Parts: sequence; C-alpha cells; structure tokens
Amino acid sequence: MLAAVRQTFRRLPQCACLSTAATDSLANSPPLGLLKTAEVASRVLGVGQGSGVQALPVTLPVLLTMSSLIRPESGTTAPSDQLVELDPSVFAHPIRRDILHLCVVHHLDGLRQGSANTKSRGEVRGSGRKIRPQKGTGNARLGDGQSPMLRGGGVAFGPKPRDFSTKLPRKVIQMGMRVALSAKLREQSLGVVESLEWQGIKTKPLVERLRELGWEKTLFVTGREEVPVGLEKSASNILGVDTVTAEELNVYDAVKWHRIILDISAIQWFEQTLGRDARVQ
Amino acid sequence: MSSLPRVKAAASRIHLFNLSPAQGSQHKQKRLGRGQGSGRGGTSGKGHKGQKARAGNGKPKPGFEGGQTEITKLFPKKGFVNPNAKVYAAVNLDRIQAWIDQGRLESSPEKPITVRDLLLSGCIHDAKDGVKLLGDGAEELKTPIHITPARASKSAIQAVEKLGGTVFCKYYNDLALRDCLKGRTDRTEAAPARQPDILWYTDWNNRGYLSPQALAKMPPAITNPRWKELSKQLLAHKTQEYDRAK
Repeated sequence: MLAAVRQTFRRLPQCACLSTAATDSLANSPPLGLLKTAEVASRVLGVGQGSGVQALPVTLPVLLTMSSLIRPESGTTAPSDQLVELDPSVFAHPIRRDILHLCVVHHLDGLRQGSANTKSRGEVRGSGRKIRPQKGTGNARLGDGQSPMLRGGGVAFGPKPRDFSTKLPRKVIQMGMRVALSAKLREQSLGVVESLEWQGIKTKPLVERLRELGWEKTLFVTGREEVPVGLEKSASNILGVDTVTAEELNVYDAVKWHRIILDISAIQWFEQTLGRDARVQ
Repeated sequence: MSSLPRVKAAASRIHLFNLSPAQGSQHKQKRLGRGQGSGRGGTSGKGHKGQKARAGNGKPKPGFEGGQTEITKLFPKKGFVNPNAKVYAAVNLDRIQAWIDQGRLESSPEKPITVRDLLLSGCIHDAKDGVKLLGDGAEELKTPIHITPARASKSAIQAVEKLGGTVFCKYYNDLALRDCLKGRTDRTEAAPARQPDILWYTDWNNRGYLSPQALAKMPPAITNPRWKELSKQLLAHKTQEYDRAK
C-alpha cells in the first residue's frame, strides 16, 4: 500500500505544480486550499470521477493558494487562482511541540556569550600573608585576605567563562524544521510566491506594497543562493521584515516570525532536503 | 482546593512562549545543601561523619575494597603484548560478492582489488596492518575476483581460484600500506626483511608475490621489475652451499 502511495507521488511533478483552478471553487474554501477529496483523488490517481471504488492514498498532497509580491497585472491569471502542491511529509507533518522546544533551546544555548567571570581567591590580588595570629585574638582563625569569607575576598565557585552550546542530532533539527513549516501552514501563516524579485532598492514602494498585502511581520525565504538584491535592499530598513535564504533558515526563526513567505525555489529546496526521499537512503 | 486538570490547548498557535518539553523527558538537577525543604539539605545525603562523609572521594584509591584483596589483584599477570604483532582487517568472500553485486567493487587482472579499494568502498572500515582474505561464505562467491591482500587463508585462495580468479599476497610495511591507501606510487615499496616474512611471501602455497610461480603468473601491469631480482636473492638460501665443520 505504501509502495503504491510512493509510486503515485513519484508520478506527480516534483513539487510546484501551478495549475489554474476555478475561482468559484476556491472562493469558499479556506486559504489552506484543500479541494474536495474526490477531486484530489481523481487528480492523484489519474482516474476519472465516478469510475468505481478506488483505494485512496494515505496522505493527500497539501494544496495552497499562491500570493504575489509584485502587483499582478490585470490580464494575467491572479495568483489566488493558482495552487501549489506541497509535500505532506514536509508541510503537513504532525505537530510536535516538544521537538520545537528542543530546537529552540538548542539555538538559544548556542547564542549565549558565556562571558560571566569572577575572580577566585587565587586570582584576587593580594599577598599570602596570614592576616592575624592563629591563636590569641579572640576571633576566628584566618589565612590570607582573599578568602571568600572576607569582604574583598574572592568568589567561591563563581561563574567562569564557559561554552553553553549543546548538541542536538541533525535529524531532530530537520524534523523541527518540518514541524515548524507545518505549524505555520496550519496557522495560515505560510505564503508562497512565484519569485521574490523586486524592482528597485528604495524602501517606500515596498512598504506600500506590504501594507496593501497586510504582511506586517514577515520573513521572506528564498531557495536561491542569495536573496534577490532588490528585496534585500528595500527591506533592510523595514522593521518587522527580514529576508533569508532557505539554507540559512533555522527552526527558531521559523517559529518566531509571525508570517513566512516562501518562493518556489525555497519550496523545492525544503522538499529536497527534508522530504521522504532525502530521508530514506 | 482541587488543582485544575491540565488541558493541552492543541489548537492554539505556536509561539516561542508556549513551547514545552515532552512530559517526563527532562529531569530536575539534584542540588545538595540548599535547605531542609529540598530533602537534600544539611548533611547533603552523606549521613553523619565517617570517611565517606568527607570532602573528596571517600576512598583511599580507585578499586579499593576495604582491605579485601581487590579484584584487580586477585588474578596473576600473564604474558606480554607483542608491539610488532600485526592485526589484519578480515574480509570474507561473501562480503566481497555482495559489494560486487551492488557495483561498489570491481576487479580485473590488471586492476586487482587492493586495500585502498576495499576501504573507499566501505567494505572495510579500518585497514589496520593490512587486509586478510578469509573464506567464510565461499559458496556465495560467483564472480572471478583478482585481489592483492596482505594475507589470505587457504580456503579463500581455493575458492577464488576455482572460479578463475587470482590471489597474490603482497607484503606491506607501514609506509607501503599508507602509500597504497593514499594512492601514492612514487615511492618504492619495501621488500620483506624479517625472516618469517621472507619465508612466507616467497612461498607459493601462500600465493606470496615473491614466489617464482606468482611472478610468472602475475600480469606485467601489477609487477615491479625489482621483484624478480628480489625473489632470486631471497630464495638463494634454498640452494646455497655452506662450508660444513668437519
């Protein structure tokens, strides 16, 4: 059964299948554009509707309506009429908050500077002279003046610069990324655009466009090796907007940012590196 | 006042502030000497006085058993460890056949399987002092293979030659093995110098590369012109004349 499912998925195009679907069927559906089961089944299995009982695949591909950074021209098909097919093992992964917790804590551990330092009794400046006789004075016996018991003395067991970074298995981090992307998709905070190319480097046009779209606190992720210059420069001074490449995206940022906009190359990158084929050796 | 049941808000949005570890996955640290309420205050779990309650280890030395003869002293020392001993990485015939089936190894008389090929293909993980070909799984060997290990067992030699393959055992000292693994061919590989090695590698029974039968059978691509002369000199003792005491 699973082999049959895998076969059907291999017959599907790699990922970004841009297909025009009727606007009215989408108008009433939630942004997480899942078409009716029968329609999806017929697309996946390549069988005409009403041709008899067929076993449905275990996991249906996740479909998402597209968005566009550039204002779409009146003649072309609106991006909201276009769907992108997402790999369910990456974008519809079961939500594991504990895995996200592990990834976030691991990330924050690594950020620690670890530079707290104190002087111990050996490092405090001072001589080793016994500051009062052992016997005779009615007070406690004391050695040198840097003992932690004394005012001005060293710290006993104080902090020393150390490395707080921890290790986390690579596969846990990869699962964390899948869970984070799936959580974002489930909360309708994930968007897909065809490309993140932006004309010009001035901040103002981008601010206006983002206000139109209502994309306030968004992270733009590209699958290319470098973020497109236009977007990078325009967004560099906008608070609440940031750009990153798919390789550099970490689980912490994927959870932190309220909205993530991916371009098609980013979807492809994630599906290649996190998908089933990458895992099954 | 009854405690409210913990209801996990499964449908709430995920933020950095509402992540928590899996129940039971994280254990609190044991902190000694921090007051009565913790259960480990005061004497910090050491009881009262005595050697074990003091700072430091509590034992005179590791393995001390209170005066009873320690387990490390009960049994006598035996033998010695030979620093010149050679440990060979064993490779069986069934493993080589599996590698050939997967396409990870291939051999021909001009390009025999060397320890470098075995290491790079993952057939062995560590070359140690050389590779020894062993005959386990000889029934599974189907293809003729051509291999130059450091040693080979008699059953392995038989199994390989039955299918038309060849086995020639070459002497590798540490440097020669390192060069073979790195693929360096500029240096001359040393000849065996120790008597047991000389006797072993000049013996056709072992398929030693310095035996006259091996030199005759080896394709020129893998021989070194030095070897013929070496073989002659190293086998001279067999027919040498000595002055005998009267």
